[in-house]
Amino acid sequence: MVKRLPLALILLMLAAPVPAQDHDATQIVRDAVNHWRGLSSDSVMTMVIHRPDWERTMTMRGWTKGDDRSLIRVLEPKKDRGNGTLTDDNSMWTFSPKVNRVIKIPSSMMGQSWMGSDFSNKDVARADDIIDQYDHSILGIDEVDGITVYEIESVPHEDAAVVWGKEVLKIRDDHVVTEHRFYDQDSELVKKLVSLEVGEMGGRVIALRQRMGKVESPDEWTEIQVVSVDYDIELPDSLFTLSNLRNPRE
Amino acid sequence: MHMLAILTRLAWRNLWRNHRRTLIMLLAITLGTWAMIFMTALMRGMVSQMVSDGISALPGHVQAHHPDYRDDPSIANLIGVSDTELYERFSTAGFRQWATRVRVPAVITSEYDSRGVTLIGVDPEREDGMTFVDYDAVEGRFLESSDDKGVVIGRKLATTLNTELGKRIVLMSQDPDNEIADRGFRVVGLFTANVMSFEEQYVFAGKTTTQDMLHIDDQVSELVVLGDNYRDVEALYNKTLELIDDGAEVKRWTEIDRFLGTMLGVMDGFVLVWIIVIFLALSFGLVNTLVMAVFERVREIGLMLALGMRPMNILGQIILESLLLLAIGLALGSALAWATVEPIKEGVDISYVGEGMDMWGMSSTLVPELLLSDVVLANVVVLILGFFASLSPAWRAANYEPIEAITKV
Repeated sequence: MVKRLPLALILLMLAAPVPAQDHDATQIVRDAVNHWRGLSSDSVMTMVIHRPDWERTMTMRGWTKGDDRSLIRVLEPKKDRGNGTLTDDNSMWTFSPKVNRVIKIPSSMMGQSWMGSDFSNKDVARADDIIDQYDHSILGIDEVDGITVYEIESVPHEDAAVVWGKEVLKIRDDHVVTEHRFYDQDSELVKKLVSLEVGEMGGRVIALRQRMGKVESPDEWTEIQVVSVDYDIELPDSLFTLSNLRNPRE
Repeated sequence: MHMLAILTRLAWRNLWRNHRRTLIMLLAITLGTWAMIFMTALMRGMVSQMVSDGISALPGHVQAHHPDYRDDPSIANLIGVSDTELYERFSTAGFRQWATRVRVPAVITSEYDSRGVTLIGVDPEREDGMTFVDYDAVEGRFLESSDDKGVVIGRKLATTLNTELGKRIVLMSQDPDNEIADRGFRVVGLFTANVMSFEEQYVFAGKTTTQDMLHIDDQVSELVVLGDNYRDVEALYNKTLELIDDGAEVKRWTEIDRFLGTMLGVMDGFVLVWIIVIFLALSFGLVNTLVMAVFERVREIGLMLALGMRPMNILGQIILESLLLLAIGLALGSALAWATVEPIKEGVDISYVGEGMDMWGMSSTLVPELLLSDVVLANVVVLILGFFASLSPAWRAANYEPIEAITKV
């Protein structure tokens, strides 16, 4: 889950207002996963990629269903319209109408940037088996504006395919992840994903605006703003197929 | 015989009549010879270094792969025979050393960077001395067993990735179903290699661990056999071919690294070409000197002819002059070459251009290799060609009309 979080946050930003019964750290993370899992969503969001000398805004529509199926398609700008990304389990495919080819992202490219943003392909594609690949523990419990926020430290197992030394999450008790920090193995903060705006949309309290950025280059970040979202809707399985990636049927 | 003695004496004296010109020519021949022999020794050294580095890169005088592996070294092209079966067949064959490896392209990722590398799953006990990695020189430790959970990477790669001994990295590759296969490893050792690019290219992990990660049960990418002499691998080749029994494609190292194999073969021809090229430059000076010597002595030659010396003897005298000059030059040049090679016998440190040499697969010390056959070749070639070059001025001198020659002003 932890690894999958960016996508989870981008696409779902779910928050079922179930009071946490168990304050066990693993349970808190698992709850967040479980609430994100098994649901479907249909959302529109804008992504702003900011660099010191340029900035670029894209509007995208994303669908998710079940554990790990998702489809994201670019709506704006016009020249990128139709570019799509499909993920299923650990695999990822992209389609660009300009070249009219579906490309499976090979493992060698998983570490590379997704659509030029600060998210890597891996951030977007990885499945959620990560609950089991980390040891979670509660660092602290805080009260912010009347909401309990758990600070959870997740340390990857020895053989987990994770480069981080540890990750620290701030999860509210309504399951909104407000912060996700990635530390290297010397416990130096490398990058973080912060929720800048939390609000209600689609009947849930979710993170509306999030920013991912590396610590060493504060001028470079990617921000995702949710424009609209619908939860728990019927989505046909045919939506998450390669042929639909290539030829959209909506 | 008597005549030859006289001619030699005449030639010798003539040589030193204009000693400044002779000395200059001598200097040119000496330098030329030195360049021929010294540079040849360096090139020889370079080539044998390249060959031995190339073989020790991941040696195996004979290797076996899936027939398509060399075109596409991917996980899809594994040896058809299982590792266990290979072990049964090969362990009793009495090879000096042999091993099987998993060898696939992979991506190594740290917190800060990622790089494409070649992941090699090895059986450390069987590989000792077969790879370019000296186990004892590894900072940290080398892998301990086939199911060691650690990874050994090059020192330079560690710097590039901003990681270090004791930290974890992630290796990512593909399994046979094209799915992503990845795993975290702890860096247990850092190796240094003679050839700098190896430090960035190769990553060693335990064979069993690698097989688990890639979801290949008991299969390997290559089988390598090491013999005693890299120049003669035929017996090894035939034996391997017989044992593998159609299970894989067997190749000699000369076929695997054609560049090196060809290099070795071309070298002999190259030495000859090199000697001839230098000689051509030299021969202009030589011929010029002889022509001058003849022109200066037109009247004298005419007188000798008039006194009854035979044209053949005039010819012989000039040629002898040339050969004496060459012989002295060659002797001095050879001696000088030996004198310069001797102090650097142990190798020259060329690490300041190491990165450039790396592109050729060369290491950063150059050990010159002075072969007697090359010295003999240079001397013989120069003497023979020198003989032919001096024919023309000698011929001209021998064919003077005595009267004309004497009266020439």
